[in-house]
Amino acid sequence: MINFLIIIFIISLIYLAKVEMVKSYFTLMAIQGLILFGLAYFELQEIDLVHLLLILLETLVFKAIFVPIFLQRITKNQIHRHHNGPIKGYYSVLTAVVIIIGCFMISYVLHDQLKSDADQQVKYFTAATSSLLVGLFIAINNRDLVTHLIGYLVIENGIFLLSLALGSEMPMFVNSAILLDIFTSVLIMGIFFNKMKDYFQNANAGQLSQLKD
Amino acid sequence: MVFGYVTLMVSLGIYLVPLLGQTLNEYFFSDRLGLIFYLVLILVSLFSAIHYVKFVNDRKVKEADVALHNAGTIFFTGAIVGVLFTSHFGILWAFMEATTLGASILIYHNRNQDALEATWKYLYVCSIGIAIAFAGILFLGFAAQQTGHIDFTFSAIKTEAANLNTIWLKACFLLVITGFSVKMGLVPLFNVDIDAKDASPSQVGASLSSVLMNAGFVAIYRFYEAFSATSILPWMNKLLMLTGLLSLFFAAVYVLRVKNVKRMFAYSSMEHASLVIIAFSCGGLGYFAAILHLVMHSLVKSSLFFQVSQMHRIFSSKLDENIGSYLRVNPLGGLVMLLGFLSIIAMPPSGMLISELYMFQALIAKDYWWVALIVLMLVLIIIYGLAVKMLGIIFLKKNSANINLDGATPYESALQLALIVIVFYIGLFRPPIIVESIQLAIQSLPI
Repeated sequence: MINFLIIIFIISLIYLAKVEMVKSYFTLMAIQGLILFGLAYFELQEIDLVHLLLILLETLVFKAIFVPIFLQRITKNQIHRHHNGPIKGYYSVLTAVVIIIGCFMISYVLHDQLKSDADQQVKYFTAATSSLLVGLFIAINNRDLVTHLIGYLVIENGIFLLSLALGSEMPMFVNSAILLDIFTSVLIMGIFFNKMKDYFQNANAGQLSQLKD
Repeated sequence: MVFGYVTLMVSLGIYLVPLLGQTLNEYFFSDRLGLIFYLVLILVSLFSAIHYVKFVNDRKVKEADVALHNAGTIFFTGAIVGVLFTSHFGILWAFMEATTLGASILIYHNRNQDALEATWKYLYVCSIGIAIAFAGILFLGFAAQQTGHIDFTFSAIKTEAANLNTIWLKACFLLVITGFSVKMGLVPLFNVDIDAKDASPSQVGASLSSVLMNAGFVAIYRFYEAFSATSILPWMNKLLMLTGLLSLFFAAVYVLRVKNVKRMFAYSSMEHASLVIIAFSCGGLGYFAAILHLVMHSLVKSSLFFQVSQMHRIFSSKLDENIGSYLRVNPLGGLVMLLGFLSIIAMPPSGMLISELYMFQALIAKDYWWVALIVLMLVLIIIYGLAVKMLGIIFLKKNSANINLDGATPYESALQLALIVIVFYIGLFRPPIIVESIQLAIQSLPI
């Protein structure tokens, strides 16, 4: 089951690189939230109940439900199609695939450096580092502020996967801190996003060039 | 309210001094390095609060905005106190993230388009930087996992570091430097820091250039110290030196073309952050030089940012082409600018000359002649860039319209002068208490 969920997660990364309709981003973020919920449930069954419930809450309520709905609300369904960056269409799919293959190869090389249950960690490591780099790619390759937010959330999902690879050994309070930080970051970014729309005609990062030397 | 908070901070300082070197609980300790920068934090926060009162009166800032600013200040300084005194890498990361949120509230103070743009960029890039740094901490977790259990306290990691896999440690340090570079104003994530200092009120720019930079340094220092007993020490030094040289190069390029005085000081801060990191990468005397330089830079740069606020009130402009004859228009303010300028270019009797000389001594002691030459050349370019603009502002007569002398308040300039005098005093007399405190703070590092 864990293998299946990780493969679905990686496929969602490839699809994220190709998406042009902003609404699809929100759906994909909800799907990724659900995948992370499933992974956390299967991976962390040995940890104490409170810790497990907190992590399940983080993934299901926050990542799969709150964030997609919140993003949909702040864009008020007004932004339908985002502005593509320099790498367009199927070339972005190709870039995402290259990133994932590269991450798999690096993870495989690092295989010996990992602990005894290395096979499991290689999978997580591949998915996590791919998510980090694809998130960065999405943020760099697009000009819309909402797509930048999506890029940030994909990076955070990668970080979450990386912490899952550490399994039950990750202290609970650090997880709580991550939850709090992502929550406040997204909330504050959402508030500022609304203000940006008041000042600038559309949510295009190309307009953010007032401050320069 | 903020003054009350500063009093509380002083009380905490008094409480921590007798406990030096001891752990307070599982996650915090009273540390000498933290205490040095804590004293700087108290001083800068106090001066910042005094200047903010004048700022509020002049700009007729709404009560709600003042309240939000005060809350943001308390949140921001509280997070920095956490960074300085935590003994746990996870908590350190959480407090660093908290500084981003606190700083965002402060940067957005002016509620205009520039402030909004700067805040958005700062919040976004810092969040990504902090996420990258967290990935670094997780890599440290992978390394620690091999020893059986994960304990992220500084002492536990330092004890185990020699047994940890060096690939993970290198990856951890690389990601941490990348992530926290935004806080210290270094390559690669320095841009948003410059924008933030420009678009925020000058008191906030002063805090970002001093206490936040110090917090960024302390965060990097904690990782460096924990890994210093391992075989990756020379690699870490090379990485720090490369980061410092690249940052210095970018600072030199931008200082030559910048026209906005606040941005000029922001790039000057980047220059000094680079010098600190280069000095630190040399080890030995370089460690001492780095910390001494940071302390003095915090005082001088805060003073200059406070003065820019006054200059902006008088000339209604931040552009150097609109500001001239400042020494004649506002003699005390002009004196602050002149002495501050001499300090940041490390002219005698500025204490920063001493720390920069120590840095060059450390470079030469390590036989890094070519690095010393590159640093010297880049520093000279920066001095030239700063001198052309600063001397023009202080002495040259320009077509400055709308000069409003109501903004020139002697007590503000006198306070700023006091900060610069402290740096001159350190340069001339090198007080034993400061020298010994820094020496004791770095005694755990390899020579």
